[in-house]
Amino acid sequence: MNSDRPAQPLDVLRPRNVGAPIRRTEDPRLLTGRGEYSADRKPDRPLHLAFLRSSQAHARITRIDTAAALASPGVVEVLTAESIVKDFKPVIPFSRMTNYYATPILPLAAGKVRYVGEAVAAVIATSRYLAEDALELIEIDYEPLGAVSRPEFAVTEGAPLLHDAAGTNVLVAREFKKGDVASDSKAAAVRVGGRFEVTRKAPLAMEPRSYTVEYEKRRDAITLYTSSNIPGIVRDAISESLDLPGHRLRVVAPDVGGSFGSKGSLYPEEILICIAARRLRRSLKWTADRLEDISSSSQAFAEIVDAEMGFDANGIAISLQADVIGDVGAYSIYPWTCGLEPVQVVSFLPGPYKIASYRGAVRGVATCKPPTGPYRGVGRPISTFVTERLMDLGAKALGIDPLEIRRRNLVRPEEFPYRIASGIIWDRTGFVECLDAAAETAGYRELRSLQADARKQGRLFGIGIASYAELTGIGSRIAVAPGMPINTGSETAKITIDSTGAITAAFGVASHGQGLETTLAQIVADDLGARFEDVRVIQGDSDEVPMSTGSYASRSAVLGGGAAKHACRILSEKIKRVASHLLEANQDDIEVFGGKAIVLGTDRAVTFRQIAKAVYSDMKTLPVKAREELSATYTYDPINGTTAAATHIAAVEVDPATCFVRIVKYVVAEDCGRIINPLIVDGQVHGGVAQGIGAALFEELVYDDDGQLLSASLIDYVIPSAPEVPNMEVVHVESESGVEGGFRGMGEGGTIGAPAAIANAIADALSPLGIEVSLLPMTPERIFRLMEQAKLKSRGKSR
Amino acid sequence: MKPAKFDYVAPTTVDAAVEALVAANGEGKVLAGGQSLLPLLNFRMTRPGVLVDLNGIQGLSFIEPRGDRIAIGALTRHREIEQSPLIASKLPVMAAAMRHVAHLAIRNRGTIGGSLSHADPAAELPMLSLFYGAELSVQGPAGRRIVAAEDFFVDALTNCLEPEEIVVEIEFPMLAYDGWAFEEVARRFGDFALASIAVSVRRGSSTIDNVRIAVMGVADTPLRLKAVEGKFSGVSIDDRTPDRFSELVMSSVSANSDLHASSEYRQHLLGKLAARAMRTALTAKE
Ligand SMILES: Cc1cc2nc3c(=O)[nH]c(=O)nc-3n(C[C@H](O)[C@H](O)[C@H](O)COP(=O)(O)OP(=O)(O)OC[C@H]3O[C@@H](n4cnc5c(N)ncnc54)[C@H](O)[C@@H]3O)c2cc1C
Repeated sequence: MNSDRPAQPLDVLRPRNVGAPIRRTEDPRLLTGRGEYSADRKPDRPLHLAFLRSSQAHARITRIDTAAALASPGVVEVLTAESIVKDFKPVIPFSRMTNYYATPILPLAAGKVRYVGEAVAAVIATSRYLAEDALELIEIDYEPLGAVSRPEFAVTEGAPLLHDAAGTNVLVAREFKKGDVASDSKAAAVRVGGRFEVTRKAPLAMEPRSYTVEYEKRRDAITLYTSSNIPGIVRDAISESLDLPGHRLRVVAPDVGGSFGSKGSLYPEEILICIAARRLRRSLKWTADRLEDISSSSQAFAEIVDAEMGFDANGIAISLQADVIGDVGAYSIYPWTCGLEPVQVVSFLPGPYKIASYRGAVRGVATCKPPTGPYRGVGRPISTFVTERLMDLGAKALGIDPLEIRRRNLVRPEEFPYRIASGIIWDRTGFVECLDAAAETAGYRELRSLQADARKQGRLFGIGIASYAELTGIGSRIAVAPGMPINTGSETAKITIDSTGAITAAFGVASHGQGLETTLAQIVADDLGARFEDVRVIQGDSDEVPMSTGSYASRSAVLGGGAAKHACRILSEKIKRVASHLLEANQDDIEVFGGKAIVLGTDRAVTFRQIAKAVYSDMKTLPVKAREELSATYTYDPINGTTAAATHIAAVEVDPATCFVRIVKYVVAEDCGRIINPLIVDGQVHGGVAQGIGAALFEELVYDDDGQLLSASLIDYVIPSAPEVPNMEVVHVESESGVEGGFRGMGEGGTIGAPAAIANAIADALSPLGIEVSLLPMTPERIFRLMEQAKLKSRGKSR
Repeated sequence: MKPAKFDYVAPTTVDAAVEALVAANGEGKVLAGGQSLLPLLNFRMTRPGVLVDLNGIQGLSFIEPRGDRIAIGALTRHREIEQSPLIASKLPVMAAAMRHVAHLAIRNRGTIGGSLSHADPAAELPMLSLFYGAELSVQGPAGRRIVAAEDFFVDALTNCLEPEEIVVEIEFPMLAYDGWAFEEVARRFGDFALASIAVSVRRGSSTIDNVRIAVMGVADTPLRLKAVEGKFSGVSIDDRTPDRFSELVMSSVSANSDLHASSEYRQHLLGKLAARAMRTALTAKE
């Protein structure tokens, strides 16, 4: 009966889930308050933790007296570094990088404190109120050692050392080199450059960090519910630190209310709460309040970049050099190290451009601030800001349109795969296609003529472009953080049909807002031939897969999705084998679709439920050998990973009276490969751009020279709210990547392009006044000062 | 971020509330909308022994005309003032300003008595009370007394009340005007102002008879600029009037600086807003 087989492959005719704008299945519960976050866990009579945090930036702890606190009502225990020495091994953020010092991670500060907000003691009481009352009774004597706040100061001779054992405040130093930059730069027709800076940010997830540990006395076992996006890494690290095997230490990331990187590292409080549970044989809870979250979660960016780009007379960029200082804070984080953010700046500086020679040197410098860690975009928001500013400066110096100069320098379709000067290899991606699509959607020519009219009226109207490329879904050949010993290159999917015919797909990845529950179910439904609504996705639970690292670095759709596709292929073969018995048909004539196995061209079919029954419950129908468990596990490693790219175009108007920036138009054209769910892709771009607007115009953690945080509340740490985020147009250039499924990662890109595009637009708007933009965020105060300086200068000239 | 221990009482009359404050012996604190007080409690920046909750007292929430004045009960929520047709027609500057007060959820809870008592230098209602020349009716152990708004604000976040006193109601005189304007700049919509100005003008065909001016966000308390009012009464109107007004306003205040704005920038903003406000007030009726 092969003749009636359709000529077209079936999946073309069938309605597919992948590509469809399916509403997120997690949203109803999250939006109606029925989600379950770590703080929602209700263990039996839990104890509550509160941390006493350092008020000093850098000081020796000479005395801690906890007696009064211990005697305070409801207090069960007070822990200090001294009292827990025997309970754990320090966690070392190891890396094979040379010129790197790995600062040990301790649950509570021992000997000295290195930033304001560092945990020094922990009170455990029957309620958080009583625990906080007792905090006030702990006496600590500090001997100040001199604050180190500015990174430029930290590297000077005689600056106090944060880590004596390191012998320097430079915790990491690297240099990337290709070609002869010095002579190429000398040969350049024009050279542009400057000192660029992006200040420190707080990732600021809506849900602060939160941990609940449930202690099981029966077998001295712990389940840690953590608001983490790397539950697998947390499990492995705490297992090692506390010498607790994985089957007695389960780590679960339940619903997580955002991370943006702040929940993507191991935290001292996570180690401490597990130590406390084992010591006291009790369950415990802790949720950071907003002040703790801002002042002790990993922070972001904080880099100063001295950069220069040389162009030939045709506007081709021929040389690039940069010296980067990253203000990495007081400690290296686990597992990414303090190299993660600043080293990525130099890795990505050449961007999507064919620049022949390059030198990028970076120093990660210790200061008395919380550690910097991953933040949506990691390094690339800064590298893109610098490179795109340089492109615009080059265009201006040569009298070439900013759109045209990018077209001349981008890697062209026929040139992929392309190794840029820092060594990164871009696979085939729509660089030029994104540039063209963004320009067309934005109406670039019309915008320029609007600008000409505006300028005639004396209005400050500007247009900014930013093109970038990033590595996403990277496999085992490239470490997410340099020299790190953890396998970040693979992810596992385990798909099971149980005896009722229900499908459960378990993953190690851990959605913290990205909608993986929906997108992974879409993939499984298509590739298994199941109905979308019949697939349950489990993620972020260390008991479900043997090893996983989690969700970060725009990897989950590529790695989790790829693993799902492979596992589905194996499982669907099993389904077909069983169905061929049940339907007495050739395996090749069976198609699995809509939760059924069907004999092609007939109405003979069996449902998953019937198949499951035959396999598991029924002792007669199938021969013993044919009763294979309906389960498949696959660990997928894309080896290299894939590239994603976009061009952002922003048009802004600066109000000369208020010095406020209004975003008039915002367009993103992006290539994220095959789109799994366009609603989710748009949502990720919108959220990413909103965050990029924060970096460009609003957000800044201000530390004074004594290391005190001045912007420690949401009144002073200003983030964009709904009225500050404009409507955006998002265009998809959907070119399939080379990895399984053709996907590319796209969770971070919005934040990478927006700061640069807005910075360029502001610079363009202010160019009639001779103002350049080299520091973000461009707050009204900063624009005011630049305009005042420009006024003074022009007065000076006319005199 | 949990408050230190406190006792809680919920009286149903103002008399009982005052008694509770007296009994608290200087350790009492009144709770109205809680929008400013609760954060302070949670940060342990204030540690009252007793919280005296006003929300159960009937008759403290009203907006009503009284002759040439509008009386507003201390427990009236920001949102009620914002939406009141009476306020819109009789106190239009207040109506315009209310939408700049925080965000909807906060306006639903926050009260006028709480806002005035909290005395934030960048809050709209304290500035409006100066602008209108409002009078606060205050009840204490010795009974009621009237406090003029200009005597009420002592310093940033400091009013002139005794610990046992409660603001009960506030009367706002209706101003005669030919034109008015309210201008404000805040980092984001709903934030406390970086600078703000309220202006109303009585004018003849070519001269200004008198002006009323109040500003906020630039000093430790909101300010009514009586000196500028004096200099601007009787001046003749021409194209340069808004700019002259702006210069006068700028020279009469010296703005504070903080994390969000330097004094120079605030001063600059106030100048721009002053010119804009005067332009609007003058064009309202030609
Ligand atoms: C995020 C945020 C943004 C805000 N933005 C603005 C803004 O832009 N503009 C603005 O004006 N306000 C703003 N506010 C403050 C808001 O308007 C508050 O509601 C108001 O300042 C206090 O009113 P309340 O009724 O909540 O007072 P509460 O918080 O209950 O009390 C405040 C203080 O006043 C005392 N008090 C209260 N009522 C009386 C009374 N009848 N007699 C004597 N003392 C009393 C209390 O003891 C306490 O000391 C903002 C608040 C928040 C949280």
